[in-house]
Amino acid sequence: MLLSSLFLLPAAVLAQTYTEHLHLSPLAQTSHLLAAFNFTSTTPLPAYESGHFTHFPRSLAQILQHTKTRELHLRFAWGRWDDEQWGPRPRMGRREGGTGVEIWAWLDQDHGGDVEERWSGLVNGLSGLFCASLNFIDSTRTTHPVLSFDPEGTHADGVTGQELLHGTLPHEVVCTENLTPFLKLLPCKGKAGISSLLDGHKVFDANWQTMSIDVRPICPAGGNGGGECVLEIQQTVDVVLDVERSMRARGDPIPRPRPIEELECDGGKGYGGGDTCYPKVKEGEMGWSLSRIFGTPVRGSCHLGDGHADADITLEVPLDRMVNVTNAQPLDAGNEQGIRSYRLPNHPPGQYTDLALPQQSVTQAVVQPQPPLYATRTITGSGQQHGGMHAHLRNPHPYAQTITYFESLPWFLRPYIHTLRVRNSETHENVKLEKMFYTPAKDRERGTHLELMFTVSAGGEVELSYDFEKAVLRYTEYPPDANRGFDVAPAVIRVLPNDNNTGDGGRQGSYIRTTSLLLPLPTPDFSMPYNVIILTSTVIALGFGSIFNLLTRRFVLAEEVPASKLALRVKAIVGVAQDVVGRLKGTKAVEMGGDAVGSGKGDGMGNGAG
Amino acid sequence: MIVYQCWWKEVKPNGDECDDGHDDDDNPNNELLSTNTELTMRLLTLPTALLACLAFPDSSHATHTSNWAVLVSTSRFWFNYRHMANTLSLYRTVKRLGIPDSQIILMLPDDMACNPRNTFAGSVFNDKGRGLDLYDQKKDISPEEEAGGEGGETVGQGMPAGIEVDYRGNEVTVESFIRLLTDRWPASHPTSKRLMTDDRSNILIYMTGHGGDSFLKFQDAEEISSHDLADAFEQMYEKKRYHELLFMIDTCQANTMYTEFYSPGIVATGSSAKDQSSYSHHADQDVGVAVIDRWTYYNLDFLETRLNSTASDVRLGELFDFYTFDRVHSDAGVRYDLFPGGEHEARNRRVLDFFGNVQGVDVETAGDGLAALGDWRADLEALRRIAERQAAEEVNATQIRTDAGAQPEKHKTGKNVLPAGEANMGRDMTSLTGGEGWLKKALGATSLLALGGVWFAGGKIR
Repeated sequence: MLLSSLFLLPAAVLAQTYTEHLHLSPLAQTSHLLAAFNFTSTTPLPAYESGHFTHFPRSLAQILQHTKTRELHLRFAWGRWDDEQWGPRPRMGRREGGTGVEIWAWLDQDHGGDVEERWSGLVNGLSGLFCASLNFIDSTRTTHPVLSFDPEGTHADGVTGQELLHGTLPHEVVCTENLTPFLKLLPCKGKAGISSLLDGHKVFDANWQTMSIDVRPICPAGGNGGGECVLEIQQTVDVVLDVERSMRARGDPIPRPRPIEELECDGGKGYGGGDTCYPKVKEGEMGWSLSRIFGTPVRGSCHLGDGHADADITLEVPLDRMVNVTNAQPLDAGNEQGIRSYRLPNHPPGQYTDLALPQQSVTQAVVQPQPPLYATRTITGSGQQHGGMHAHLRNPHPYAQTITYFESLPWFLRPYIHTLRVRNSETHENVKLEKMFYTPAKDRERGTHLELMFTVSAGGEVELSYDFEKAVLRYTEYPPDANRGFDVAPAVIRVLPNDNNTGDGGRQGSYIRTTSLLLPLPTPDFSMPYNVIILTSTVIALGFGSIFNLLTRRFVLAEEVPASKLALRVKAIVGVAQDVVGRLKGTKAVEMGGDAVGSGKGDGMGNGAG
Repeated sequence: MIVYQCWWKEVKPNGDECDDGHDDDDNPNNELLSTNTELTMRLLTLPTALLACLAFPDSSHATHTSNWAVLVSTSRFWFNYRHMANTLSLYRTVKRLGIPDSQIILMLPDDMACNPRNTFAGSVFNDKGRGLDLYDQKKDISPEEEAGGEGGETVGQGMPAGIEVDYRGNEVTVESFIRLLTDRWPASHPTSKRLMTDDRSNILIYMTGHGGDSFLKFQDAEEISSHDLADAFEQMYEKKRYHELLFMIDTCQANTMYTEFYSPGIVATGSSAKDQSSYSHHADQDVGVAVIDRWTYYNLDFLETRLNSTASDVRLGELFDFYTFDRVHSDAGVRYDLFPGGEHEARNRRVLDFFGNVQGVDVETAGDGLAALGDWRADLEALRRIAERQAAEEVNATQIRTDAGAQPEKHKTGKNVLPAGEANMGRDMTSLTGGEGWLKKALGATSLLALGGVWFAGGKIR
């Protein structure tokens, strides 16, 4: 693919440059379009070190200088690359990240201060710059890979004295607020040139999208005296857009059935009556244009006067496909690979450039190349305590390929490494592991780091599996949406370069990332503590209350109850009062004659006994 | 029309309850209380001679020199779309009126724009008309438009394009909110996520979510209580982190959130009184959920129609008068008593003093050394004021205690005169032993006597 060959071009450029490039290629047999944006600028290393940043974004440079970062790779990604239909990944997967956010960097070891501390400074600084929760990359999400990543830049004494740190945030959502700061780093800020096409509404409506930022030092080949070293920043955005979906009216994205007059019916069906319509299958390639897909044509250009005359836009469609170009200068009407290239006009600024491809039947069949490897990864098993990991790798090529397989697992997923099996799917023979690096997890301190290196035979399939145990988290460690599950970062598979695929001169090889996984952990009912408190209080109130009541009472017969002193005294007073009353009445009664006094006393007695 | 109301009606004891989730070490509230008292102790022991020799550079009436906004949505999940839309609407408004992204702290606990449930990818709307995309208004430029006018820079109805969310997802917690207000962060915390205010900054704080009596839920997982908030504001005041502060809250029983405030210079307004719900305004059938709350809707209605430029001379009083029961369907409240000058002054402040970026400019005429001396004096002056205020409270509290038994009525009026006096944590108890306390005691004694009488009478009857 073209993108892979373009990959190393900027290394050979002048000290202080800025180039931007958009590559468009419809993905064969589908209605998808891959749009790959690349913005590269370089600045001389001595100028950078003395704080003179020309096109290099100052905000990023200051963070890198403060944390003594030599090389930085930052990725934001969302969606799934469909290997089966879309073929190999753009840029050999090297500018792609796992779902969410992925970051790896080489930091100087010997510049005072702890490397871990500066790493934390780096992720915190970047979290402020890119509006992402990168600050959540703490020691539990950081690993030190050995095999999977090599520095891309030229480092004078290799990477001795530098430390590679790698962190992932698979749960992080990538959205417009991440694109805004990304565009702000560009010299034209998304207002002119091809970056004016980048709009959150389209980029985040894509089937697959990845944004990357790579900073690396480059020294010309030939060692000392060969020229000045430069620092390069490469920003890329790769999106796979569904052409039909992207061209829907923006204000009304909800698909509705077409009115009957607009339907094209296929009359050739013998079984249809006159009242039915079998829609005709659309023939040929779908028509599209830049302005309809991105909602806006390219506005002006961002040529920063460095004398380059490189193509701004390249288009990879069959040569007999018609292309209507508005306001751009064709550099190449189509080379042997079928790639047409265009350059945006320099003057006047404020002009609009558009490419339109009408609907057309193309006879030339497009051959979709095969990806280096197919890989899937799943979590198996059921229940809240145990589970298993299962990865399946398939080599579609007629030659063996050596790969490294890298997993960075969260600490609450505890793998049983003795159950690790790497087997050939057909013969069930164990595959010999050439190298293996394993750092076991420590609860709440660090995650598992597992790195394997083995060979997948020609056309062979390999299955990798192990069992794991799920940890029970503390009540406060659960996120607010705990029942959703916990994300496990994708595995990073690196296909090492071999005799058959080094055509691109990559000592890096190509990369494939599996999808991220969702791990359900045992989740408590979060209202439980309140229920427990309420229930316990009730039980104590009822149980303790009645028992206490019983324990502090003595049960006796009613007759045995001695009259209390107070009652006696009250009775005495009442008696005296009644006596007095009775006497008063008595005197009257005596005067009248009769036995009122006796009955009065009887009443008094009755009261007392109650 | 779908109307959402508070399903969270449960009343929780405030204060300590919300700290369930924290270890004691990193509990910001504990820190906050301890420093509060510590500071007081130190202040009271400052030599009075030093304080007496201070000149009076009266800066309390000086205007502000910067504007900041803290906009917080506290609820997660798709069905709380409207809270995100509320916050983003305010974000758009303050940005339109000139506060730059670097001075807006936006906290969004969930992602609505790129949510898979959102039919309109990358967009958040606050009206079923969907005329305005709150999440990065698209640059609708077509070649034809461009040819017509040269005003290419002022796109999206005057708001600069782009959106910057400072705290998102699981970062939005009570802890980070209080840390933000009081600026207690590790050294590595980036500048763009800090509230870098000083004593000449006007701050707008807007919160929305699900709440109840004296608490506001964060992400369905924890709560912030009105006491936490009041103490955070007091700490901000002590650290000279604001000049004037407008606190706005749209949640159920919102007015209970600001009753505990006791720091000067705060105007607070809420959407609904105690035991009232705040309602949503309307739903969009294509988005599928309610898109905005009533109170916020009418705030925006006012701000959009009345504040058309950064020169609009509209007063806060007019904004507050706009919240009628007919519009909001609940009793919106305003608290003026903490503001110097009271209701009159507060109502007379320009809306743009909080929503816009209109600032006064201070020219420092003195040389470096003198300026430093001035700073030092100003600091001491501020400390002196805090000490005086707290001493006055102390005196006030003891007075209350002595007066209380005899003249509970008089004490009550005295309380109204002293606006910022009441309700320092420790003082709560003392004021309770004051007038109301005695009344309660008398009531208790009477009821006990009555019960005794009943018991006695019962004994008599049998």
